[in-house]
Amino acid sequence: MESQSTGGATAIAVAPPAPPEALLVARNLTKHYGAVTAVDDVSFYCLPGEVHALVGENGAGKSTVAKMLAGAVAPTSGLITAGGVTLDTGRIRDARLAGVACAFQELALVQDWTVAENLALPDGSPLRGFSQRGAAKAAEALLSGLDLTHIDPRAQVETLTLADRQLVEIARAIGAKPKLLILDEASSALAPPGVAWLFTRIRELTAIGTSVIYVSHRLGELAEIADRGTVLRDGRVAGEFHRGSWTENQLISMMAGREASRAFPAAPPLPVSDRAPVLEVENLVAEGLNGVSLSIKPGEILGIGGLQGHGQAELLRALYGAIPASADGWSIDGRAVKRLTPARAVRLGAGYVPEDRKREGLALEMGVGENLLAPWFRPAQLGGAPRLASEKNWMSGVLGSLSVRTRGPLEAAGALSGGNQQKLVFGRWLDRDRRLILLHDPTRGIDVRAKQELYRAIIDLSASGVGVLWFSTEVEELVHVCHRVVVLYQGKVADELDGDRLTAEAVVGAAVGSASKHKGLS
Amino acid sequence: MTTTSSTPATRQGPGESSTAGGTETGAPRRRGSVSRILNRMPRSAWPLLVFVLLFVIGGLIRPNLLSLDSLIGTATFAMILAIASFGQTAAVIQGGIDLSVPNTIAFSALSYLTLIGPLGPVGGFIGALLAGTLIGVVNGTIVAKLGLTPIVTTIAMNGLLFGVVLLTFKNSELTVIPQFLTDITATKIDVFGLRVAAVLPLGLALMLLLQFVLSYTGWGRSLFLVGSAPETAKLAGQPVDRIRIAGYALSSLLAAFSGIVIVGFYAQASATMGSEYLLGSVAAVLVGGASIAGGRGSMIGTLGGALVLGQVATLVAVANLGSNIQQLIYGVIVLIVIALYAKRGRD
Amino acid sequence: MTTATVRPRQAGALRLWNAPGITRLRREGAVAPITAFVAFFLVYVIINPGLLTRFQLQTAGNLVVPLALAALGQLIIVLVGGIDISIGAIMSLANVVFATAMVSLPVPLAILAGIAAGLACGLFNGYLVAYLRLPAIAVTLASAFIIGSISREVMDRPGGGITPEFYLATSGELLPFIPISLFWLAVIATGLWFVLQRTALGRHIYGVGSNMDSVSAAGLNARGAQLAAFALSSVIVSFGAIMLAGSTITGDPRSGDPYLLSSIAAVALAGASFTGGRGSIIGTILAACTLGLVGSLLFFAGINSYWQYVISALIVISVVGIPVIWKKIYLALRKANS
Repeated sequence: MESQSTGGATAIAVAPPAPPEALLVARNLTKHYGAVTAVDDVSFYCLPGEVHALVGENGAGKSTVAKMLAGAVAPTSGLITAGGVTLDTGRIRDARLAGVACAFQELALVQDWTVAENLALPDGSPLRGFSQRGAAKAAEALLSGLDLTHIDPRAQVETLTLADRQLVEIARAIGAKPKLLILDEASSALAPPGVAWLFTRIRELTAIGTSVIYVSHRLGELAEIADRGTVLRDGRVAGEFHRGSWTENQLISMMAGREASRAFPAAPPLPVSDRAPVLEVENLVAEGLNGVSLSIKPGEILGIGGLQGHGQAELLRALYGAIPASADGWSIDGRAVKRLTPARAVRLGAGYVPEDRKREGLALEMGVGENLLAPWFRPAQLGGAPRLASEKNWMSGVLGSLSVRTRGPLEAAGALSGGNQQKLVFGRWLDRDRRLILLHDPTRGIDVRAKQELYRAIIDLSASGVGVLWFSTEVEELVHVCHRVVVLYQGKVADELDGDRLTAEAVVGAAVGSASKHKGLS
Repeated sequence: MTTTSSTPATRQGPGESSTAGGTETGAPRRRGSVSRILNRMPRSAWPLLVFVLLFVIGGLIRPNLLSLDSLIGTATFAMILAIASFGQTAAVIQGGIDLSVPNTIAFSALSYLTLIGPLGPVGGFIGALLAGTLIGVVNGTIVAKLGLTPIVTTIAMNGLLFGVVLLTFKNSELTVIPQFLTDITATKIDVFGLRVAAVLPLGLALMLLLQFVLSYTGWGRSLFLVGSAPETAKLAGQPVDRIRIAGYALSSLLAAFSGIVIVGFYAQASATMGSEYLLGSVAAVLVGGASIAGGRGSMIGTLGGALVLGQVATLVAVANLGSNIQQLIYGVIVLIVIALYAKRGRD
Repeated sequence: MTTATVRPRQAGALRLWNAPGITRLRREGAVAPITAFVAFFLVYVIINPGLLTRFQLQTAGNLVVPLALAALGQLIIVLVGGIDISIGAIMSLANVVFATAMVSLPVPLAILAGIAAGLACGLFNGYLVAYLRLPAIAVTLASAFIIGSISREVMDRPGGGITPEFYLATSGELLPFIPISLFWLAVIATGLWFVLQRTALGRHIYGVGSNMDSVSAAGLNARGAQLAAFALSSVIVSFGAIMLAGSTITGDPRSGDPYLLSSIAAVALAGASFTGGRGSIIGTILAACTLGLVGSLLFFAGINSYWQYVISALIVISVVGIPVIWKKIYLALRKANS
């Protein structure tokens, strides 16, 4: 990669040496998972009292770097020193003892413990005594010191909202009084007041010399909080920047690479069709869903937006029959729906790409071919090798059209990269006479090229008359690829946007409840 | 970001990799032709290899063990254990376990002997098998619909059947084994010029049939899917509950079948006739290469596991070490097997 | 009665229902076994008022206490997300080691020997599960074979040197109407409660069962906590084995075998979660008492005692299954009405 200077943000070829006063030094960090390289030769440093951002697309490797810094993952090679102490054991305990605390992206709270237990127990020796009351009091003190008095220390973490759990996770990290605080996508579930709270806490910490590593892909936040930053792309350092010297476009081009692959394919115009809507639901109610009405025409790509935890996951699961739900009126492809189960939904022509591809989308031990055929096993029909042989054409068609990089249908699904795994989960529904496909954030955590391939596949689906319901946490995806976007807020439709009204600002605005119109019925 | 769905048993934490690489198809890092040959063979063949090894070792210690007679003797014992373990294989593959095997065996054997009076030998046979299937359906329904763990469900069923057996059957009156049954179990028949007990080819045929179902039918493959990734199976639209219930039904059906075979071969029945098959069936299945967590296993492997355990029993008997040492060695073998398979899975 | 006086009384009851200790018991699933035991006890006393005599209380206590201790041992393993198939074998081993040691050693040393034997088994299992990350059910299946055969090597038939004095010390009466076995059970259970609820280690044990990775993420030694759980469990089981030896005045290499299945049934009845992280001591003890006394209840009711197997199984399935069925019926009714 040539060294380019694009204004204040620089793409670098060789890591500069770290200054002696740096609190954290990461040198040539590399992490391999089997054949997959998640992080490749990443180096950066962080000064005391500085907020250093780690920026990149989903799947760029920033979370893996954060985990290495936090001690959750041992680097394959490379050096990390924090405050002079080398961290390479892959044990979180050692990192915490060295003064490094992390608020993890996949919240590391023990669900069955209370908030107080999660705050009071960390780092402690098992041989201490423990009293619920003492822990609750200490937790109360910590929470009120952090201005989080609305959280009940005696509540079980399981019962808290996602946003509150994230706040507790952050509180736990801050409560360790670290020299280096790592925040891995710490604002992902927080509304703007929560983000403002977070920034206040960060400034309190940097004022006393604590360094903060802020991992995020939300560029708007970085402008406010980051002093310096490192951009990662495909596991490597793509550039660095410091406060006030960069523009969003520069960062985006560093994150995305030279081809400006942030360009989204535009959705083709809606095919005119007099067929019944592929999905029509009126006042859908489920746990977490307070009355949503939607309608999707054949070939339409309907985006679902909003902050996480406001009913989007429940909406998809309810529409697929994975959770119990009821509605005043409900039909798939014109056929009425009563009690829906996933098996019945598949028979009615629906398909679903779940949130967690590893646990809900794939059987990692089984082969690529059998994973593709997962919905299509029938008890009395053939399975295994004869079935794979008879379905060879279909499978190679799917794998080819999605450009899945695999050795073949017999390779274990667990051996594929994240992007290819996601394509498997998506691909099992192709060319199978589907009417409606429900997508739960299908491009999360996969590399840029795979994302492009998925976008094209979704558009192909739309062109062939399949209706698509697409929940995405990336506003840009919704704005550019979808025909129409419905934003959920607190389990209800906050706004419906299409045409000229469909802009990123409008989506984000509706997501935080500041919609100009409230839509109960579509 | 945590999912808000129904709680999975293990939630991914920060210590787990989010982009874990593969296991099976990374280029084999091991060197050496032996390892390469081993890697190429299916897992189900490994126990057969160990069996051959043990057989040869036995022959080195005591040359008269290297005889066809000794092989057939061990194989017969092993085949009975294997027949009793085929059902367990199905239960373990789908991620569960069947601890009601012992008293299903006893119940089915005693029902059979009781039913041949009114229904005749074939009628009694069908009746006992139906009873076994019903037991499995109840097990599966409780596991699938009530959500009770398989361990607790099948333990409770085991206890219940024990009580039923004690209350219903008077053992002293059940002594008549019909000729039909002896013919298909204990009677020696000619196979390729060898005189073997009929149970040997019977078991082999059963194993081939079951392995066919596991490997080549949609239901068999969906059983693996349910065991390996139950949430995925559900979200792929498979009727997980029905698959589970059928799996437990098959397990108990096979246990019932094995009960009849056992009573036919050994010509005796009692309330505790199945007790050694509680841990024995699970041991055979594990030594055969199944994963206790589900998603992996085979009938061929189970037969191989039973052969290994059987050969150990033969060696122990010949060396006059006593059944205690046999149990000890069984335990050590199972331990080695699970340690090896766990390590291989992690490479 | 005016409404003014009714309301404060209700608030008091509601306040009790929501008090922190009671809430914790509710969360740990203890409501079911407590209710089941109370109902069972009432039925028992109605059918056989003779239970409340000194002799019968003593017999009942001696019968129930080894099972309760085995169940507590199983509970601890279940709390960390595993299951212990070797619990019967550990019990047998501690039982025979203690009985053999009693022949030649003073009582305190013999007790120590029995507990040491059990502890060794627990550490063995715990090391394989916590540090080699092998599945508990498979490890304990294998060690059940191994430990069982060691027990039979130590003692191949019932025997041992247990004295009538020891019988009185473990299975006699502390005070009139208070069997000493129940006293020992209370002491051990209180000690266990203290460790699980009032020490950080106990909280770690609950946490490991809930999510081992999260406990590690908190900078805690999750594996050590899991090992400690296995060790603690085996010590409690060893106490049960010693109590059993005391009440039967013999050591028997097969004495522990029945306790495998009944300890699991008791933990299930106690409402513990088999995925880990949830379960209460009092629930387990009461569940064990219920299941342990089914046989004698039937005896006094004049019913063929073979029915105890059927009834115990039905109790376990219904107590655990009824809440599930009830919830489904409730949801279905609610949907029909809406």
